[in-house]
Amino acid sequence: MDMEGFEDENPFEQDLDAIPSATSSMSKVAIYEPSSPPPHASSALSPSSPPHRAAFASTESHGAQASNYKTDFCCTRDRYLHTNDDIEIVIVDAQKTSAGTSSPYIVYVIRTGDAEARHRYSEFESLRDSLSKLYPTLIVPPIPSKQTIGDYAVKQAKAKEDAALISRRKRMLQTFLNRLARHPILSNEHVFHRFLDGEVSWNEVLNSPPISLLPKNILKAPSHNPTDQNAAAAYSALPNPSAAHPLRRPDQRFLDSEAFTIKFANHMSGPMEKVTRRVVKRWSDYAQDHADLGATLNGFSLNESNELASAIEKTGQAVDTTYVSTTKLLQEVEQNWAEPLHEYTQFASIIKKLLAYRHQKHVQYEMTQDVLENKREQLEELEKSEREARRLEEALGRGRMAGPSSTSSANPEQGEGSPEEDNANSESSSHLPAHPGQNPARRRTRTPGMGLINALSYTLHGMMDVDPETARRNSITKTKESISTLEDALHLAAQDLKYSSSTIQADLDRFQRQKVADLREMGIAMAQAHRDWCKKNLEAWEEAKREIEKIPDHPNKAPGPPETGPSSSTSPGEMAPSPSNRRDSTATVNGR
Amino acid sequence: MLNEDEDVFDSVTWESPSATGYDVNDHSTPSGPGFIQSTVEGNDDPLQPKWEGYLITAVRDPVKELAETKDAYVSYLVSAKTNLPIFSTPNPTSRRRFQDFVFLREHLVRDFPACVVPALPDKHRLGMQATHNLDNWLTKLLEYLTGDRFSPEFMERRRLDLHRFLERIARHPILQRSTLLRAFFESTEWHVYMHQHVAHPPSQEPSAGLIDNISDTLLNAFSKVRKPDERFLVMRENVDKFEEGLVATERLYTRVRNRSSDLTADYHDLAVAVQGLGFLESGITDPLNHLSNTLLEFSALQRHLTQTTTDPLLTHLHSLLQYSHANRAVLKLRDQKQLDFEELSDYLSGVTAERDRLSAIIKGHAGSSGLGLGAYLKDRVDALRGMDDDRSRVEKMKKLDTKIKELQDAVTTAHETSDAFNDATLREQTIFQYSKEAEMKDILGDLADGQIEFYKAAMEEWDRVIPIIQRIRVDV
Repeated sequence: MDMEGFEDENPFEQDLDAIPSATSSMSKVAIYEPSSPPPHASSALSPSSPPHRAAFASTESHGAQASNYKTDFCCTRDRYLHTNDDIEIVIVDAQKTSAGTSSPYIVYVIRTGDAEARHRYSEFESLRDSLSKLYPTLIVPPIPSKQTIGDYAVKQAKAKEDAALISRRKRMLQTFLNRLARHPILSNEHVFHRFLDGEVSWNEVLNSPPISLLPKNILKAPSHNPTDQNAAAAYSALPNPSAAHPLRRPDQRFLDSEAFTIKFANHMSGPMEKVTRRVVKRWSDYAQDHADLGATLNGFSLNESNELASAIEKTGQAVDTTYVSTTKLLQEVEQNWAEPLHEYTQFASIIKKLLAYRHQKHVQYEMTQDVLENKREQLEELEKSEREARRLEEALGRGRMAGPSSTSSANPEQGEGSPEEDNANSESSSHLPAHPGQNPARRRTRTPGMGLINALSYTLHGMMDVDPETARRNSITKTKESISTLEDALHLAAQDLKYSSSTIQADLDRFQRQKVADLREMGIAMAQAHRDWCKKNLEAWEEAKREIEKIPDHPNKAPGPPETGPSSSTSPGEMAPSPSNRRDSTATVNGR
Repeated sequence: MLNEDEDVFDSVTWESPSATGYDVNDHSTPSGPGFIQSTVEGNDDPLQPKWEGYLITAVRDPVKELAETKDAYVSYLVSAKTNLPIFSTPNPTSRRRFQDFVFLREHLVRDFPACVVPALPDKHRLGMQATHNLDNWLTKLLEYLTGDRFSPEFMERRRLDLHRFLERIARHPILQRSTLLRAFFESTEWHVYMHQHVAHPPSQEPSAGLIDNISDTLLNAFSKVRKPDERFLVMRENVDKFEEGLVATERLYTRVRNRSSDLTADYHDLAVAVQGLGFLESGITDPLNHLSNTLLEFSALQRHLTQTTTDPLLTHLHSLLQYSHANRAVLKLRDQKQLDFEELSDYLSGVTAERDRLSAIIKGHAGSSGLGLGAYLKDRVDALRGMDDDRSRVEKMKKLDTKIKELQDAVTTAHETSDAFNDATLREQTIFQYSKEAEMKDILGDLADGQIEFYKAAMEEWDRVIPIIQRIRVDV
């Protein structure tokens, strides 16, 4: 069975058709509305109870607007997620608690509509882990990695560091939940709804179906639903290949995907993230420099007087503004640029895993194909031997009838002996052990009169060696069985591969659109943050400039020197005491 | 401004010597000890500087002279616009080289010791930025070693330094009218003039003339002024604080400068990274390229800001600091003059006491004059040595009288000198205050202008790119 044949067979499409409303509505689903990231629950999906996992219809139909909402919900959360246009899951708080354990931990308070759930980081981790097992062909969004700290914030106080870590996690976990909520398939997962609901303890969810039904090895379970209890037994016949196993007929599309993902991952974690981290660090130093400078200028202004003092003061305020606005810029760059970048680095490695899964599925298919091919050859070999044997026996049978044959009652087996051999070797051959490769019929032809000995030797042979005939027959039966299983398995593998390929491809397409939308948001956020930074500083400096202008010019200026000396530049209210007083003060030097 | 400053000193002096702040509007009448009235009368306050005209100077057009020889040097076109009567033309110009500026400064310092004569930049400017930035320092050193003092950058920096130097002199109401400065601008035989000037220094300014009459033998450069004049203490404190402010500002702006240089490089790298992302994301290559260009432009604007605003700011701050050092030196010299006077007064009162003691002994009131144990012992020693002779006492008294007469003259002179120097210093402080304010106005004004230009240009860049990114078609 070659790939083309299997493509045409298309078990996947039939499979989808089996879930009637799923296929029809899926093909019209718009996964997101154009303006993401504000979440839009626009995916209209079939009612999907956990065992019926919906899938993407392949490629073409995703641009369409959502016009049809689903009407059948598995729970309140499902209804909330799929009836509101502007759903937003918010992590409203991160609280320190030690409930249930001896050591304190942080719980994140999640609000979804009117529901409130509390989960700690490890529970997010297990949610994500479960989802990626339940949906091995979907890009399950990342959660913040455990050690993001220290990457950005270098050498801060521990408490401050913790606070920064917690707020970063809070943001990124919230992004994770909203990405799930906006995913056309994952948003229908009841496990996710239960996570948001917070009514059942998470432990219970983990220990009940579908999660409890997850097989040890998802490679040996159906791609579309690894927990399917009615999955064909043939799944166990599938091999368990390594991800590094080469393919004979790789799919160019996925080769390209893999190559691109590697390039993308390298670029993101390399230049993009590294430079961004440097920029963030530098702005944070820059902010600190300006905080110090602002304070210094303010102190400077206290020692001066009049217009100069207020000019220096205003300059100091402009510098303070730079401190404040740079701190803001820094936060924006961190949240709207650095964090999404990091998320996409994680996405890249998730996609790598996804592609590896598909690769393994493909290897499974090819290996099964090979094994099946082997078995068929084997069967053919066996059957060939069998035919040979039959042909010989038939020929023997004919010879016996024709020649002076034995008087003993001929059982059906004996009738198959070959006349030549019977004549030439009857005596000696009976003493020889039967050679399985040769026609075993020989030894069953025995001369009359020798019956007892022959019977003995036959029994002896039977004890020494499996009756080759039976062995061959068994082998044929077994091979046939195994071929049948393998045919089933191959069919399943083909089906899974087809499903995985199209689902992964569809989710990659969706991901690509999501990525473009996110990059757009990142670019806009970046530009606006810088623009606002410029604007605030510009205003502050223009104000400072107006104050600086007020410093009087030097008396030595063209055209025309000041007529009355310095008094011309002194306002009347600030006149000094009478000259005599001032001159008199020199007398203090004399002391007498 | 002058009046306000005087006010400042008065209020601090008379109200609360320990106060660090002051109220410029306080006009309370001094209630301290009585004052000697100044001999100068009229509404013309001698402490107020007077500008008799304007002198606007410029240093332009550095030219490499005697190029291709080992004596190559750079000459600068110095020009002025003036209405001062001492100048024979309202627009004097000439070409001068660095050495000429050095001569001008050295002789102004010699001729006008009570005036704050600005410093010149170090010959090869190893001083200034070297303290902040080793790289800079090495660059400068290299510049010098490789003869790059003829590089356009070096000549331009030097030109600016010299321009600032002349501007400060021109702003000084006394220095601007000096014959040496006139010659510097006008003389076509400057070298001849230089020699003449060295041989026959011009008659000195009144204030300078007075202070040179002190016998320096009594000077003790290490003693402290015993009766510090609060006005000058406050001045010193103000100078200290001003310099502190300059130093701190300069230090922090150096840090900002280096940080900005780093950011310049970082944004360049970020631009390259975003461009690389554009290569990968074929659907949005164009908008990402625009973003990359904006990042690159932002980087370039930061570099421009550093070069045209922050670096000149640092140079000017440092130059003003050196000018302030010159001002501080004059304050120190004033202390010295007061010290001269105090030492002489002490000596005089010592001699007078001795004479009075002798006189008392002659009058037969020895021992009861209450002159103390020391005088009594001296008397006894004299007696033992056979000197308890009234004749020798009378002789001694005559000598002492002569000495007292001399000392009284010296004390009077020292007092006059000290007073004159006080007045000169007060005037110089006012003059410096004007210069300081004018330069701070320039410094802060240039800084603000540079910042405004930068933020405007950068804002335009970001504003331009926002709609381009917004136009990215998103179909999720």
